[in-house]
Amino acid sequence: MPEVDPQLLDILVCPLTKGPLVYDRAAQELLSAEAGLAYPIRDGIPIMLADEARPLRDEEKARLKAKPQS
Amino acid sequence: METKETADFGYRRVPAAEHTRLVHGVFDRVARRYDLMNDLMSGGIHRLWKAQLIERLGPRPGQLLLDVAGGTGDIARRFVARAGGGARVIVCDINHRMLEVGRARGLDAGDSKAIRWLCGDAEALPVADASVDVYTIAFGLRNVTRIPAALAEAWRVLKPGGRFLCLEFSNVEMPLLRRVYDLYSFAVVPRLGAAVAQDRDAYQYLVESIRRFPRRGRLAALMRQAGFDQITARPLSGGIAAIHSGWRL
Repeated sequence: MPEVDPQLLDILVCPLTKGPLVYDRAAQELLSAEAGLAYPIRDGIPIMLADEARPLRDEEKARLKAKPQS
Repeated sequence: METKETADFGYRRVPAAEHTRLVHGVFDRVARRYDLMNDLMSGGIHRLWKAQLIERLGPRPGQLLLDVAGGTGDIARRFVARAGGGARVIVCDINHRMLEVGRARGLDAGDSKAIRWLCGDAEALPVADASVDVYTIAFGLRNVTRIPAALAEAWRVLKPGGRFLCLEFSNVEMPLLRRVYDLYSFAVVPRLGAAVAQDRDAYQYLVESIRRFPRRGRLAALMRQAGFDQITARPLSGGIAAIHSGWRL
């Protein structure tokens, strides 16, 4: 499983809100708390399209809110 | 919410959401043969145009380029080869299949670590404000659903002092050349598409979309509205293509 490049992660934002993203390495997803979406990473390529994203569950949103964002 | 917004899909007027889907379909279908078709259609001239784009850009070590709609990595590789030390490219394309083709080709060609692949929409870039030195879009702006939105996003992600460069088909002024070019475009290109990529409709779309793209003066006006300064347009091959340049100051 190719990792996402840290330098790429540095400048990635949510395409809808332009807000920060949280990298979930285990799930290979980029989470946008503000948009309530999880963007998939496929084969190391972040898929930053709202149409392809998964809506976050309530408990995931709560967890993101509790944890200060990186 | 219902929206009545529409966009040109070649010569057809379609709802904006439908446009995005249709263009996506075109590139899904032609991805594997995309670079080969470009060579055949243009007699290899697209390579000279891209070389001129890189020439205008003057890549420098340490620069970060965002190449939008750059699926197969053609511009990215040229940039890295010219810029040398520490230059990096993020290739961003809305079409995942085009990126896969580009990345696979890069692995074959032993691409350096300088190139990163990202799936995103030119109209809603997943890239932070003022974060890149150069933005390029080669033969991509024509396929975007809302050109002003894409230009505004380009301006947003560029650092102050950063440069926007667009290589795109343009308008041919000379009447004789235009007649030959039109004949070639409408009689030959869709047949080539049918023969090589087994897809006549995709290449019919291609030639129609070229005719629908804003003329040089109009695109310059749109770039101004998006906030760009020092806007220039340089026609290539009698205006068959053009390089549009602007700066975020």
